[in-house]
Amino acid sequence: MAFNLCKYTKSRLLNHETRWAPEANYVATELTDKKASANPTKTFFVKMITKDILLEDSILDLIDNSVDGAWRSEGSRPMGLSEGADLSEYSISITLSPTSFRIIDNYGGMTLDDAVNHAFSFGRQATETNEDYSIGVYGIGMKRAVFKLGTDIKIRSTFSDENKQRVAFAVPINVQTWVTNDAPPWDFDIESDEPLEQDGVEIVANGLTPGAVRSFESPSFLQNLRRTIARDYTLHMHRGLKISINGSLVVGAQIELRASEDFTPMHVEYKDETEGMEVSIEIIGGMLAPPPDSSEPDEKADSENSFGWYVGCNGRIVLAADKTSVAGWGVDGWPAWHPQYAGFLGLVLFTAANPAALPLTTTKRNVDTASEIYRRARPRMRDLTRKWIDYTNARKQAPDEAKAKEKDAALVSIYQLQKVDAVKLPALTARSAPAPANVHYAVPVTRMKKLAKALGSINLAYREVGLKSFDYTYNDLVGEE
Amino acid sequence: MSSFDAINYSLRPSKSIQRQIVFDGVRLLADVMDLDRLAYVGFGSIWFTDFVIAHKLLRIDDMVSIESDEIGYSRAKFNAPYSTVRVEHGLSAVILPKLFDDSLLAGRPWMLWLDYDYELNDSVRDDVRSVIENAPVDSILVVTFNGLDKKYGQKPVERPDRLRELLGPVVPDELTPAFCKAEEMQITLARLGIDFMKSIAADIARPGGFVPAFRILYRDGAPMVTIGGILPVRGAARGVRDLVNATSWPSWPSKPITAPPLTMREAAVLQSLLPSKTKLSRTDIQNVGFDLEDEQIEAFETYYRQYPAFAQIVS
Repeated sequence: MAFNLCKYTKSRLLNHETRWAPEANYVATELTDKKASANPTKTFFVKMITKDILLEDSILDLIDNSVDGAWRSEGSRPMGLSEGADLSEYSISITLSPTSFRIIDNYGGMTLDDAVNHAFSFGRQATETNEDYSIGVYGIGMKRAVFKLGTDIKIRSTFSDENKQRVAFAVPINVQTWVTNDAPPWDFDIESDEPLEQDGVEIVANGLTPGAVRSFESPSFLQNLRRTIARDYTLHMHRGLKISINGSLVVGAQIELRASEDFTPMHVEYKDETEGMEVSIEIIGGMLAPPPDSSEPDEKADSENSFGWYVGCNGRIVLAADKTSVAGWGVDGWPAWHPQYAGFLGLVLFTAANPAALPLTTTKRNVDTASEIYRRARPRMRDLTRKWIDYTNARKQAPDEAKAKEKDAALVSIYQLQKVDAVKLPALTARSAPAPANVHYAVPVTRMKKLAKALGSINLAYREVGLKSFDYTYNDLVGEE
Repeated sequence: MSSFDAINYSLRPSKSIQRQIVFDGVRLLADVMDLDRLAYVGFGSIWFTDFVIAHKLLRIDDMVSIESDEIGYSRAKFNAPYSTVRVEHGLSAVILPKLFDDSLLAGRPWMLWLDYDYELNDSVRDDVRSVIENAPVDSILVVTFNGLDKKYGQKPVERPDRLRELLGPVVPDELTPAFCKAEEMQITLARLGIDFMKSIAADIARPGGFVPAFRILYRDGAPMVTIGGILPVRGAARGVRDLVNATSWPSWPSKPITAPPLTMREAAVLQSLLPSKTKLSRTDIQNVGFDLEDEQIEAFETYYRQYPAFAQIVS
């Protein structure tokens, strides 16, 4: 049974002044010819769309818009590893401080049509199709991002029309004024403007939200933002895209795997289809670093290292170093992540002309695990992971042989990997070893650090310090074996 | 070995100058913050030098000294200079959380000077974090630690990772060993330490934030780093920011303080040449009958007002 919330006005919804508690006889007599007011208020809208997104993701949304622009300027082609595209002409500059935020790009600008029909309308029209290998799939990104950032916003665009005439316009948004009138249509004023230096888009936010002020004050937020950008746009940066924060260029993260006679990373490519839309999938994976000698959780938390699965959608990394059920760990016959499996890196790249076909969530910070394309890729990811897990198990019985082979494997950029159907890992010969004795004890961290330093490096893992001090004492008191 | 067994605290001229520079800054802060009921928390050792200045210069009555050493605690109690100085026995990591709940100290601003005689390590970091998370509004935090590069790894190449382990994400990925050597290390430690403090305050959304206000590099023997700032009430943040960003703010000297240890006679003769319209030169010093390095002359000229006057009593 559905209730119609009679006369439940917008202001009441917002202010929570009154809680409506229906009584049976009242409902029976009053609900006959009433309708629910489904009209949201702007205040409610602004609050809701910004609630479930992190500030960092909002900034990435704005970068995505710029990257989509660059991609369109370059002719909108697939973003596989081997596809050639030169983005070195393009740059995105972000300037932020506790008082203001600015992002400017030189990607040719947003056209007036784009502004009227997409960027500043609410939700894309159903008939619209996107065939441009973009990632701005929901059309909500820019509005959500600017609302998240501040209350006094100005978006400026300069583009060259089909007659090569430069056209410049600006969209000023004062959120406080804008929310005062809820009557449809919800539009923004577009006004003419002085042209920008280069064709592109500039977004300036002042009157920063408290969350933005707090974050932009934090050096750790800024460093982490750099790291996220370095990682999530590394494929674009590899093609020459430049992104700078407060004047300093972000260097794209290197994605590498180890290769040798015994170790060959997997690199396969195949095509799939969903609702008539074609998707190209590339899966790469293998050893990034030798596995740890111990499977004990060490000082470095699993969350801090770069092992695990990465997922990219049209070039943008949306899931990084995943060790959870999103990639498949602990479900569908995969074991759950364990520190023993450290050293593994897998990357799966989905590329589609229509971004709606991609396994992408609205925040673009995760994978839509319900996507059929993604579900069909998972068994291949699992098989690769399984081989690595088996290797780390076998390795325990032949650690010396494994270490010698791992030492010979050198880092190779993922762009240089040949197509190989399945990962190759060394077959190890198990040796019989005496039963191990495990030692576990606690000492003050300051003493541990001093001993680590005396044993050669202040950064030695605690386990290493334990082993070295055992060996030292053993040699001293028992003698060499 | 505790520092009071190593050296008489008061006899280090650079340390003494540094101390005065910190208190000069705090005195100015009283114009923009309500510091009437300021309490002092520090490591008074057995000398209580900073406590005496806090009482005389800032008129602070209620003071707490933290002392972890067993014998040191007994001596500290014996040497406490005023009736309002309370000595707490234990590690700062244990005592600080108790002080956050102390009825005498609750609801009033504190000046905390965590003056460690060792390097920035895990426990120092944790103390700093807990103070920024828990200290009352309008509190002032000053932290001093050893900035000798080797304390953070014997080889330069180890030091960036050590700093990452200590301070987490504020350490830039591009920090190279070159920034972790000799004097650069002190500068790096000060910068990252302050970034760490700012980040903690931002992460827990302290309403007035953290305003960096103290950055003093000095050395008598070991190179030391003093950093800190203010945790103002929201309404005072702007005034505090304006004050510490002004060129007249004393507690952020651009150069390290390396004051020469001088005899009373040398100090008195040098002082008689100051203030001088022109910069003192080595020849000027030679003309009055002795000699000093250029760096030492500059340091004395800059800080002669704060240069300590000590006399040794020969029995």
